[in-house]
Amino acid sequence: MSFREISAWITLTSVLGCFGVYFGSLATGQVRAPSFATLHLLLLCVSALVVLQIGLHAVAARLVPTSAPVLKDEREQLIQMRARGLGYYVLMSGVLALAIPGHMEISKIDLLNFALLDVVVATLVVSAAQIVMFRRGV
Amino acid sequence: MTQSELADSIGMTRQTVAAIEAGKYSPSLEAAFRISRVFGAALEDVFQWTDAH
Repeated sequence: MSFREISAWITLTSVLGCFGVYFGSLATGQVRAPSFATLHLLLLCVSALVVLQIGLHAVAARLVPTSAPVLKDEREQLIQMRARGLGYYVLMSGVLALAIPGHMEISKIDLLNFALLDVVVATLVVSAAQIVMFRRGV
Repeated sequence: MTQSELADSIGMTRQTVAAIEAGKYSPSLEAAFRISRVFGAALEDVFQWTDAH
């Protein structure tokens, strides 16, 4: 498994884990927005995501030292380009879909959470697409 | 020659070379020429195309 593929796995699992906690807490009502508890949870999740990303990527670079420092070759560039293109469509669809709750009587915080969910889903799609293309071929 | 040695000589990762060998990735023309030059063979001797593709 190349460093780039490991990086995609790290992003997929860490984003899913960290924001799964955040949105799961919101959905189950453990925290209610707007509140400082929600803000603290969001900041904690983002901090955890940053720490996990940096730490796990550092570990991966040590485990796969031969491919980590190498610039992306043409296959990795193609995979990244196609995955990001797919993520762009997901992101734009989510942005357009924001028009629906935007015209309803929901709070600004809920609208922001919908927007954040859109970004998270697009990020997950990009990572998942990269993993599929690394595994199955381009 | 190992996959790693070939990868290093053409500036790609070992995984990309493995994907090329497994038919999971078609290299660019430049990459194909580099691979052929490493083996000292003509392009058509290293890469083949059939109607099945």
